[in-house]
Amino acid sequence: MVSSATLHTAMAEIVVGSMVLATICAVGCLASRMLAPSGINNESLFITMDRASLAGSFLALLFLPIAILTGNLASEGYAESALLYNKFVYSGLALGLWSSFVIGRYRMGPGLWNYRQLAILQSSTAVLAFLMTSMASSIGGKLVRGESLFDILPFWLPSDSAAILPLWASSTLLLLGIISTIIVFRLTLPRINTMD
Amino acid sequence: MNRFVIVTLLCLSLVLAPGSSLANPGGNGDADRDYSCGGSCHGDPSLSMPSDANIEISLGNEAFSGQAVSVDVTVSDVSSPSNIIGIFLLSSLNGNSDTPEDHGWHMIQDPNGGSSNYIETKMPSSGTITETWVLLSPETLGSHNLYAEVHHGSYGGEKAYTGVSEAFEVTVNDVPEGLPGISNDWVAPSFRVSGDDSPLHISTRNTTDISVEWMIEGEWDPTSAPVQCTSDSEDGVCNDWEVRIPATMGEIEIIYRITTFNGTFSIEQPWLKMGTAPPPFEGDIWSARAHSFAFALLVISILVSLQGRLTLTIERKDTDQTELVNNSSLIRSEDNPGWLWNPETEEWVEDYEYREGAE
Repeated sequence: MVSSATLHTAMAEIVVGSMVLATICAVGCLASRMLAPSGINNESLFITMDRASLAGSFLALLFLPIAILTGNLASEGYAESALLYNKFVYSGLALGLWSSFVIGRYRMGPGLWNYRQLAILQSSTAVLAFLMTSMASSIGGKLVRGESLFDILPFWLPSDSAAILPLWASSTLLLLGIISTIIVFRLTLPRINTMD
Repeated sequence: MNRFVIVTLLCLSLVLAPGSSLANPGGNGDADRDYSCGGSCHGDPSLSMPSDANIEISLGNEAFSGQAVSVDVTVSDVSSPSNIIGIFLLSSLNGNSDTPEDHGWHMIQDPNGGSSNYIETKMPSSGTITETWVLLSPETLGSHNLYAEVHHGSYGGEKAYTGVSEAFEVTVNDVPEGLPGISNDWVAPSFRVSGDDSPLHISTRNTTDISVEWMIEGEWDPTSAPVQCTSDSEDGVCNDWEVRIPATMGEIEIIYRITTFNGTFSIEQPWLKMGTAPPPFEGDIWSARAHSFAFALLVISILVSLQGRLTLTIERKDTDQTELVNNSSLIRSEDNPGWLWNPETEEWVEDYEYREGAE
């Protein structure tokens, strides 16, 4: 048997590993469409990267809720520090960004990479999602070992201090999120078609 | 459907599995614990191995009845690599009622600033560590035994290691009546909240005066702190004191030493340590969860609407031919209605937009 913290680490490793693959491939897809075709930059490579980014992000999205759940269990019901509070927030941002990436790719198909604006949006989403995921993971390292690989970087997203919302404000924000998601999906459902 | 049920059950099993976890490779935290934690992995013969660590106990000063004494435990030559090590200070090896408090000692401060007989710490790369407990000696005179025990693991995690020192005999000496010292029920605070400059309360006994000198950990030159008696004194004796030590920030640790006075007696107590803790965090777990999922949904709605917006723009571009016609080099001629002149190919092409009779 393993502790919830260990299981959380294992889940987080699967998520981060899959997301690294998805991010690299998403950026690769954008580069493939931006650069002139060549012996290396061919259609076969593009298709492989597109499918790998979809598979990686889908796998990560599958394991992300488990990682969040085990993280919740490991925290034993306390948001005892700004670091832990921020870990929740960054996990939520990562979940939203990766979901958007998968939704976009699934609804628009591989043809989205042929349109510069959509391709930039899609790859930027992947990069931002990866940044949020790695921040959440690094906070985990900070909490458990007191150090993180991000310590050696010259920049660091805010994590030591948290913008704490009271429960009523968080709940209102959540309600707003649910309503806006429903409205957006109802409005965009007939509009977005698979792009050739 | 069956697959969905299997996957759901598998996920639920994975989530619920940690509930019955047994191993604690990261330790259990500082606490008052008996020898071998009363039958933990380290005490189980099938799971444990004897540690080859060299464990020594020494006293920082001579022990007098009811007076503070510092007990140093030095652990060295730990061959098994381990990140965390647990150190016990014990008065017996019975497996129950082993703590020094059970044998008449009173814990003033443990090496981590708390008041436990078991502490966990990180093993330095040098392989040698010395930790100091400050205790009040038992009132009973004579010989008292102390033991030190260590618990650690290895990176492989296959075994729990345990080691115990030889008995260390402490002879508690008699003291003259009225010797000033620290109160039996006073425990040194382990930390103050960052920025808190409220006075430190110290309880003593038989004291007519005290002095406190403090310095930041790592410094060599102590500073005297202002002290004030807060209880009604009888015959000049005061046993409740307030000491003003400046507020600290960040991770600063202050060490301080109390000297107790009564007439001709002047007793220097062992150095004590006080850390700095961050202000208590007021975040709520449910607020954090709602905040997290709210951000997830808001990000999804923003990005999906952006995707929809960009798709619409691209579709418009694909179907709108106005720009193409405006940029066309075809010339409409009034002499030949229904036909357009292409100057590049120098030939007439049919005008599909021409409708007879329309202006």
